[in-house]
Amino acid sequence: MIFRNRDFSDRPTALQIKGLSVATVGGRTETQILSSIDVTIRDGETVCLVGESGSGKSVTSLAVMGLLPKGSLEVTGGRIELEGQNLLDLDAGAMREMRARRISMIFQEPMTALNPVMTVGAQIEEVLDSHTRLGAAEKKKRVIDIMEQVHLPDVERIYGSYPHQLSGGQRQRIMIAMALILEPKLLIADEPTTALDVTTQNQVLKLIAELQERHGTAVLFITHDMGVVAEIADTVYVMRHGEIVEHAPVETLLRSPRKVYTRELLAAVPSLIPRAARASRDDAPALDVKGLTKIYDTRGAFKKGRQTRAAENVDFAIGRGRTLGIVGESGSGKSTVARCIMRLIDPTDGEIRVGQADIAKLNRAALQPHRKHIQIVFQDPFRSLNPRWTIGDSLIEGLLNFGQSRDEALKHAGELMELVGLPRDALRRYPHQFSGGQRQRIAIARAIAMRPDILVADEAVSALDVSVQAQVLKLLDDLQEKLGIAILFITHDLRVAAQICDEVVVMQHGRIVEHDTAENVLGRPAHDYTRALIEAAPGRSWDFANFRELATN
Amino acid sequence: MAGQPQPTSAMQVVLGAIQLPASFRLGVGPIIAAVVLFLIVLATATAYLYVPHDPMNMNALQRLKGPSETFWLGTDPYGRDLFSRVMIGGQVSLLIGVGAAIVSVFIGLVIGLVSGFFRTADAIIMRIMDALMAIPSILLAIALVALNGPSIWSVIFAITIPEIPRVVRLVRSVVLSAREEPYVEAAIALGSSMSKILWQHLMPNTLAPIIVQGTYICASAILTEAILSFLGAGVSTEIPTWGNIMAEGRMFFQIKPELIFWPGLMLSLCILSINLLGDTARDMLDPRLKKREA
Repeated sequence: MIFRNRDFSDRPTALQIKGLSVATVGGRTETQILSSIDVTIRDGETVCLVGESGSGKSVTSLAVMGLLPKGSLEVTGGRIELEGQNLLDLDAGAMREMRARRISMIFQEPMTALNPVMTVGAQIEEVLDSHTRLGAAEKKKRVIDIMEQVHLPDVERIYGSYPHQLSGGQRQRIMIAMALILEPKLLIADEPTTALDVTTQNQVLKLIAELQERHGTAVLFITHDMGVVAEIADTVYVMRHGEIVEHAPVETLLRSPRKVYTRELLAAVPSLIPRAARASRDDAPALDVKGLTKIYDTRGAFKKGRQTRAAENVDFAIGRGRTLGIVGESGSGKSTVARCIMRLIDPTDGEIRVGQADIAKLNRAALQPHRKHIQIVFQDPFRSLNPRWTIGDSLIEGLLNFGQSRDEALKHAGELMELVGLPRDALRRYPHQFSGGQRQRIAIARAIAMRPDILVADEAVSALDVSVQAQVLKLLDDLQEKLGIAILFITHDLRVAAQICDEVVVMQHGRIVEHDTAENVLGRPAHDYTRALIEAAPGRSWDFANFRELATN
Repeated sequence: MAGQPQPTSAMQVVLGAIQLPASFRLGVGPIIAAVVLFLIVLATATAYLYVPHDPMNMNALQRLKGPSETFWLGTDPYGRDLFSRVMIGGQVSLLIGVGAAIVSVFIGLVIGLVSGFFRTADAIIMRIMDALMAIPSILLAIALVALNGPSIWSVIFAITIPEIPRVVRLVRSVVLSAREEPYVEAAIALGSSMSKILWQHLMPNTLAPIIVQGTYICASAILTEAILSFLGAGVSTEIPTWGNIMAEGRMFFQIKPELIFWPGLMLSLCILSINLLGDTARDMLDPRLKKREA
């Protein structure tokens, strides 16, 4: 692992946050969100703020931008100095000028940050319009120049394109171009690559580093991903509950973290070393998928359309007590496969054998008795439980459908809560009273309640913080041990796949490109695409949990 | 688990659906509107207890009298007491308003749920709804009253039919987005029946918008009833409604404008306050508007 071990101590300070405190206002009680934090960023330095959700990373960046939501959050103390000038003293107009020229920001989701009804060229020009006085030709030259700097292909065409015509990576490049066109002193990047695929993420990270080098910009980079931190950070600040736990140069922090919390955070990062494959408990597979194909056809009798092959000839089988992972980037068809198997959408062709029965072609009524054998856990724990139902009612929904009495089902639900590590009295509460990780446990309990043979986990831990992610993965593993379920685990995260899967299927453009044990796929990838995915995984040569380089075998 | 609340009860579903913001400050407008509406409803509902005259009682000697101690608002061209007629007439007007709102919301809700959830049904139902919306609603209502005769129920029916497509569209749009929620997909995976998913998972999402829509329908139904009566296609003329009273006063409008002024005033106040309350309900139930305010 090559860290960015550069020394910035002789460079001038770009941003200095001193004793910054932020609290909620307007409510009945004042809650401290940030308590007296100190951060220093020098010219050309990349400072990473890491921490789990709710640690105050984003509030820090919004405070620097002067964009704290009015009437709910307010700075209660401290100073934010940009090149010696306290930003908190500025009025709204001066701050607006400051935001464009000296500080700029890129966000997580470029699609929502761009205006969908303006061409991207016009949007970049708008930044120049409001802050400089340039002629039309000069303006266009500047815009084309910055677009070339962010390595957009076919600049003239993209200049006149609308955001929806570009890919996610291209949109993020446009955002970066907008942020850097006025050559700001400080760039704040709030999880700028979280919504992107790993290969795109890698390119965007390289781009930010390159532009920073060229313009000497100070970068405040907010992320939850330790892999990204290892790749790009000069200095790391670890945040928790609105406080800075510790800060150190990146290599020092990853090799010898001083604080317990930092050690825990690093230890929770899943390793890329795959688990050894376990034997199946049974000869006959619990789930056997043959030639599964899903074609979306938008052609109709009166309109032109096109066929999209979302999944084509997908074959795999999972034995009882084993886990098969499907990995791939967005649009690879992995979720389509999961939804076909759950019969949430109807497959165009192929067989889906659950036990002995082929459920691929059954109609709604004939499918009903087979439903209990195969259950699903979704990605977003905030939307997978009905917010108007108590936890108890959500848990027993399936049991009632299969003929249990209410009392019996509730008793069973109580046992399930203990099985997933939640108190029994939680049954009477509502989803909003639980954290994301707890809700995901409830969703797992709901699926397990049916005593299924197969559990489909569709990005089931992707929305969770790493420490919670580790707990939920452990829970799935324990449940599998106890109940002997076959798990189909869909994920874009190779680290997670390495932790839990016996076998891995790699999908690209709706087809399986590689299918082998996790050890072989991740250790000795046969296909170019698999290799590219592994190459792009940030921090792949670092063993976070053991604070050292990954032992090569 | 004896104290476990039953989610299947309608009350729980309704209360669960309407989560009022903890600190919502009502302005002066909605409070005045609520008081005005309450007074109008109370006054018309109890009208038979206090009106001084029989609203149907004609008296040729007392035609078109001005306000006096016996006739508080004067009399109409047939010598009937205007005050009694306005108060009693409100009963029918309000009954038609509330009745049309309830019936159209209920029918629209059922059709909208089915249309939003089942694709094949959707294609057929929405074309019928499009066809209904293409006919001017007053024209359609006149035709329906002409078909069924001028009773109160036929007027409610005639006002309800043109309103249904609006409710269907609203419910359908809510269902279309709610059915993509993972919790609905989880319910499908858990083997819940379609009717259970429709009523217990999807229907509660539609309650807030249709309550708001219901108030608008109520106001517009009262108005449509008045228009129908004014055109002579409403409730039969011997039953006083605000619309009927105004229709009959039309010919003597220049001699005696009060004949239209008093029922018109009641009608306007009533509709104004219902609409205002509807707006308030919308602001309270729609979290997006709440944020914009802050």
